[in-house]
Amino acid sequence: MDLERLQLETPRLLLRVPRREDFEAWAAFVADEEATRHIGGVQPRPVAWRGLAAMLGCWHLQGHAMFSVIEKASGQWIGRVGPWQPEGWPGPEVGWSIVRSHWGRGYAPEAAAACMDWVFDVLGWEEVIHTIEPANERSKVVATKLGSRYLRMGQLPPPLDATAEIWGQTRDEWRAFRAARG
Amino acid sequence: MPQGPVIETERLVLRPPQAADFERYAELLADEHACRFIGGSASRAAAWRKFLQMPGAWMVQGFAMFSVIDRATGLWLGQSGPWRPEGWPGNEVGWSFHPQAWGRGYATEAATAAIDWAFAELGWDHVIHCIDPENLPSQRVAQRLGSRNQGPGRLPEPFAGARIDIWGQSRAQWLARRAAVA
Repeated sequence: MDLERLQLETPRLLLRVPRREDFEAWAAFVADEEATRHIGGVQPRPVAWRGLAAMLGCWHLQGHAMFSVIEKASGQWIGRVGPWQPEGWPGPEVGWSIVRSHWGRGYAPEAAAACMDWVFDVLGWEEVIHTIEPANERSKVVATKLGSRYLRMGQLPPPLDATAEIWGQTRDEWRAFRAARG
Repeated sequence: MPQGPVIETERLVLRPPQAADFERYAELLADEHACRFIGGSASRAAAWRKFLQMPGAWMVQGFAMFSVIDRATGLWLGQSGPWRPEGWPGNEVGWSFHPQAWGRGYATEAATAAIDWAFAELGWDHVIHCIDPENLPSQRVAQRLGSRNQGPGRLPEPFAGARIDIWGQSRAQWLARRAAVA
């Protein structure tokens, strides 16, 4: 897979592999207390850099990781969405986080739907989960919009060491859901 | 896999990290004694996230530490090479080795090749090594490399508060010493 050319496109968004130029927007995002409340909390800039490096490293070693989400109209980096299954993770996840200034526009489900297609069609996954902190009602709304449902409680490995709700669905369920919506 | 140089020394191969290196890396990070000076031990899941930073940094910066491989056996011995994450106090060439690989001069041999490479390819005019004041084995490696203790320094998060001395030397000192040895 040519990671430099890999790109998913939706009506309003481009999804591509993260790059060095994403760092300023990435660092600002993970410094936002509100936006990171349910995904591990704020990170100082040096830790943010390590996070971006780890995401890229994951792309190159595993062949998949979260995409950078770019708003077509503005060219802005507005979040990270996509497959995520680090060592010890409770299943093959498609996850999302969007910068606070762009909440409420349906960007998370739009980007995540493109990623669901990609992991099922290209990576050959047979199921997808979303790990959601119990208090994160916004993400449960996104999961519901994707046709996923609550499955069980699960445990996230270190360094998170947290209990999470596991939402998700199978590939067949996703394809039926996509077909029904046309 | 990250693209990058392959360097051969008498006993070692230095190349960018690959996924297959993780098992031995995780062994190193599970060994409390062996990693007490490099951030402490970590579970397998936490080790994976840390491991990803190195190939990611190769992608972001075009340099990072190399995996150091035993030429004779193909075994992963450790990592050594240039390292300058966000907020770092200078251009480091560092090293950390699997406990089974200690005491054979591998760190000095690998770091020598890595410093040659960093001065030749990265345009650095100074190299540092951040070393815990109690880490006598690493201080001996620094001395063998011809570096001197330049005094206490500070690391950024997630290592803020760690006690370290900054050892180092200039490019001119390195080249003069290499010429004298040759």
